[in-house]
Amino acid sequence: MAAQAFAEAAVLSGHHAQAFPYFGAERRGAPVRAFARVDDAKITIKSQIYEPDLVVILDESLLEIDPVVDGLKAEGRAVVNTMKGPEELDLGVSVDCAAVDASIIALETIKAPIVNTAILGALARMTDLVTIEAVKQAISDRFGEKLGPQAAAANSLAAELAYQRAKVGRCKGERPIVQRKVWLPDWEKVPPGVVLAQDSVEGVAIGPGSSLTNFTGTWRTVTPRYLKEKCIRCLRCWFCCPEGCIKRQPDDYEKWDYRYCKGCGICSNVCPVQAIVMEKGVKEW
Amino acid sequence: MSEEMATIKDMPNNDYFLSGHGACPGCGVAIAVKNIMRILGPDTTVYVPASCLIVFSALYPTSAFRNPFLFTAFENTGAVITGIKAAQRRRGVQGNVVGFAGDGGTFDIGLQAMSGAAERGEDVLYVCLDNEAYMNTGIQRSGATPFGAWTTTSPVGKVRQGKRQMKKDIMDIVIANQPAYAATLSIAHFSDFIKKVDKAKRMKGFRFLHVLTPCVPGWKTESIRSVELARLAVETGMWTLYEWEFGEARSTYRPKEMRPVTDYLMPQGRFRHMSKDDLNLLQRWLCEKWYYHYGHEVEQPVCHINHEEKPMHFDGDPLHGV
Repeated sequence: MAAQAFAEAAVLSGHHAQAFPYFGAERRGAPVRAFARVDDAKITIKSQIYEPDLVVILDESLLEIDPVVDGLKAEGRAVVNTMKGPEELDLGVSVDCAAVDASIIALETIKAPIVNTAILGALARMTDLVTIEAVKQAISDRFGEKLGPQAAAANSLAAELAYQRAKVGRCKGERPIVQRKVWLPDWEKVPPGVVLAQDSVEGVAIGPGSSLTNFTGTWRTVTPRYLKEKCIRCLRCWFCCPEGCIKRQPDDYEKWDYRYCKGCGICSNVCPVQAIVMEKGVKEW
Repeated sequence: MSEEMATIKDMPNNDYFLSGHGACPGCGVAIAVKNIMRILGPDTTVYVPASCLIVFSALYPTSAFRNPFLFTAFENTGAVITGIKAAQRRRGVQGNVVGFAGDGGTFDIGLQAMSGAAERGEDVLYVCLDNEAYMNTGIQRSGATPFGAWTTTSPVGKVRQGKRQMKKDIMDIVIANQPAYAATLSIAHFSDFIKKVDKAKRMKGFRFLHVLTPCVPGWKTESIRSVELARLAVETGMWTLYEWEFGEARSTYRPKEMRPVTDYLMPQGRFRHMSKDDLNLLQRWLCEKWYYHYGHEVEQPVCHINHEEKPMHFDGDPLHGV
């Protein structure tokens, strides 16, 4: 939706633009990608973008797990949602960078950690392709149509605040870019009807139980804190945790495996004695 | 055989549906599947048709199930689990065969295969994970979508507001096939859930479990409320807990007084638009549903048809219901 709003803003600023998401399963909190392409002439190319001029990173923790700046041109630019200043950031390549704490802005304005509109304001600061007025207009059009005028106003305000608060600087390029594991067994290795046994091939776990290699803990924005002294060992949280990241101990007290916790908050909601409280941020105890 | 399970404390501590799957935070399907697999244990073969579950539990080439796991097409859950069981019989393998289908894969697309397996009395366990729409493909209406609910194919406009039909009673269709066991489950009624799954595990013949699994994006609610909503569904009568065995239905949980249906509808964005007429229509249908299920033998909880007016107002939050 942010990519579409950006493309719409570019059109309002007098350019040609296209926007499209990466084709794949989209789940709340899961890493997703979307692309936008802007030009002064009519755009006929239809492919994904492999060498972008500008990268927008909605979640700083993605830098640890995904090659988000892969292919970014040397003279490229970046917009990052972060609590740090641009000089403290390390993207893996040294580029001009706008840093903005879009999560805080989103919580202030739309009362939810949905940062896609706020980050568009910072994006307008970083590029002269779109003006902040065009961005606000595009957000109002796109969100007003789907969610009503109040949502449109709150989201426009988020973009405006991000435009004002974004800090522009040059980030560091020391971090090695994490490469995604490219290997997947193809149909010649695994034709239909063949069984995948529990195994690991070229560093990728396959077969039964191999999802344990997929750490979903980076999805969360709030973290449950367990107050053991209040716990009455009713095991409701253990039953209700969708991730199975609450581990039942032999004495029926609980232990959290924060590598997988997505921060849904169900455990704190079902606890009859408030022995679990949700705290903002990705933490571990 | 091991002792019968009655409460959470009796449940085995071993997980067979593991962490690291890609479900949305607060997914009701994940809660249901995780606990059913804990109770069924290691000697279980799992089949999943096209659904959310296949997408988030088996992102190629990984798998969140520690059990043997199979996937083919959308419409054939009943046929495939029949085939797996036949192969097990032939090779002398002991163990349960379970098929986890969604509501679309049971109510609509997979109905004929499910009905066939039930009629033949195959020795399999069929679990319907009912999140009341085709959530995996982006919230399209299914036979399980309740009256008035918004989906992308039952939109809200000037002419029609949400789905105009009542929810299909799949339990009735299953029961008409005379299965060995059929039961409705709720992820918020823990002991009831555990007892029914454990009972189904020990039986032979066609067993059908129907679980209400709240869906956070599809119901337009908050992830924290998944289990709470399943509880409210039972308290308001939108979901009735009963089991069917030896030719008769038995109520396993009876709320003292049915709460007004708006208590259940309010936290969900998909019902936000409902008019007063629609609310009264739904409430009247709910009050009559009890007699339809149990006859007059089990006394109906107090149910107020013309409940006090509780408008479904917009509370000022710009993300109300998102």
